[in-house]
Amino acid sequence: MSESPIKLEKVVETFYENLEKGKITGKRCKKCGTVEFPPVYACNSCGSWDMEWVEISGKGKLHSMVMPAPLSMKPEYKDLGKFCYGDVEIEEGAHLNAVVRGISKKKRREILEGKGLPVNVHASIYQRDGYKTVVFDLDEDQ
Amino acid sequence: MDVVMNKTTVHPYSRSVSIIGVGCTPFMYTVDHPETNGLTEGEMYGYAALKAMEDAGVNPQDVDFYFHGEASPLNNSNYLTPNVQIANWFGMKGKASIHHSEACCTGYYAIEEAVNAVASGKYNCVLSGCVEFGDSVAVPDHPYKRSKISMEEFLRTTAWLYDRSYTRSLMGGLNLIYDDAAEWYKRTRGLTDQEMDDTLNWMCINNRKNASKNPLAIARTTYEEIAKEKGFDNVIDYMRSPYNPRMGDFLRASGLELKCDGAAAVIVCATDMVDKYMGNKTHKPIEVLGVGAAACEATTPHFEVNATIEAVRQVYEVTGVKPEEIDVFYANDFIITSHLVAAEIAGYLPYGEGWKYICEGRTAYDGDKPINTNGGRTSFGHAHAASGLADLYEAVHQMRGEAGEGQMKKIPKTAMLRGYGGAQNICTYIIRTEE
Repeated sequence: MSESPIKLEKVVETFYENLEKGKITGKRCKKCGTVEFPPVYACNSCGSWDMEWVEISGKGKLHSMVMPAPLSMKPEYKDLGKFCYGDVEIEEGAHLNAVVRGISKKKRREILEGKGLPVNVHASIYQRDGYKTVVFDLDEDQ
Repeated sequence: MDVVMNKTTVHPYSRSVSIIGVGCTPFMYTVDHPETNGLTEGEMYGYAALKAMEDAGVNPQDVDFYFHGEASPLNNSNYLTPNVQIANWFGMKGKASIHHSEACCTGYYAIEEAVNAVASGKYNCVLSGCVEFGDSVAVPDHPYKRSKISMEEFLRTTAWLYDRSYTRSLMGGLNLIYDDAAEWYKRTRGLTDQEMDDTLNWMCINNRKNASKNPLAIARTTYEEIAKEKGFDNVIDYMRSPYNPRMGDFLRASGLELKCDGAAAVIVCATDMVDKYMGNKTHKPIEVLGVGAAACEATTPHFEVNATIEAVRQVYEVTGVKPEEIDVFYANDFIITSHLVAAEIAGYLPYGEGWKYICEGRTAYDGDKPINTNGGRTSFGHAHAASGLADLYEAVHQMRGEAGEGQMKKIPKTAMLRGYGGAQNICTYIIRTEE
């Protein structure tokens, strides 16, 4: 009998430990190839629980832009500089709500009045209080 | 590749279930008034439950089981088992119950749970109630005193709605709740900034107009009256002014919930047993035709939109009802944009045109496409878990022609209610007056 791929694995801790090592990781479904980002136990596209770790390329596209405002701003976010919240699609296919740096109200207007969405972004490892997380940056040529 | 959304096939109930009684407290700031300061969870839930039983014509001993909903029992009430701690207040001592919490969607799942319990055949008559003190927290180790909850404390605890492993860390999902739906609507329908701003403002104006006719609503002064008092000739000029500041990228202060205290309850029974339970009551039972539900954890882009699309698909598919058959629509609009987005996704308002209906006042209680005839979360108030059943209370009164000054011109026969909340659940259902 083959060994079950279902493991009581510390995926969350590993994800954050990988960020400490400079790697941004997700889980790829061995059956259908879907990449779950951030990583989880089972594939939400086909339901398979046979998953493997994968390093994501970091390339992505931003599909929507919402600017921070009094209700959606916290003092600790000031270190992010100018940023927006939005729907980011990573190159491997997953979509997630994320922070995208490098977008001011003026930049948003330029994008919307120019070539429009989506625009290219790339992932960065960002230090928060006590742990590292993932944010995205607008590509310089955008 | 689009956002991944798994879909569910919903099947018809094993037997028909109908609403026979509803009860609701006023939505209020209990701590602010001597006559309400000191009210407890048992008193609030108990009042709503007994009013629902009285309305239905049933005795507490007729009721087989009860559901209890509260969004934040630990923080707000210092309760771990809130259904048991209020068990002796409404004549059902010893009967079984269960507590559920889906945050702001609790009062909508309250119907789902009750109907399933009867449709399964296990129980014939069920109470489902919800209570929330959204404006105050229990003073620890005191039997009834409460203290006001600050906005800072409220926001601290609402952060608990979001996944600790990833969502809070990534910062996107929890902060998009205020403006994501507005951004989506504006972008996909091609509105200008001014058109989007006016649409949000008119939803607030219409909600307040509806609440001004509802004695249970927490805010009943119309925006026209407020604008006049502040020296504005035109209500929309007031709504665009610094008196109504931007709190989000699109959202203004008027578009935020009025968090408050309240309770509401409903009695449902097997439709073929209404004569047994209702006795000499003469109002028509209202059948729950079906429920659709979905959930998108807040990391999922456009969580409200995507989950609403799926839940609405389910409820139309299982009931066979068409959007044009819906006579009145309710949306849990603690962020006012929900009201527009939900109504348009449900096909109650035409695609891309809903904002015009709103700006023309057609969605007020006396318009041809009424939404949230009780005033919704920005004017009726938001006692988080209880709001869904308060909407049902209003829908039932409209459908019976008992909504008083706020009665729709044409008594509605079919209603859709769309719940939303808890980062984020969607639960939507269709009810219809039986012939």
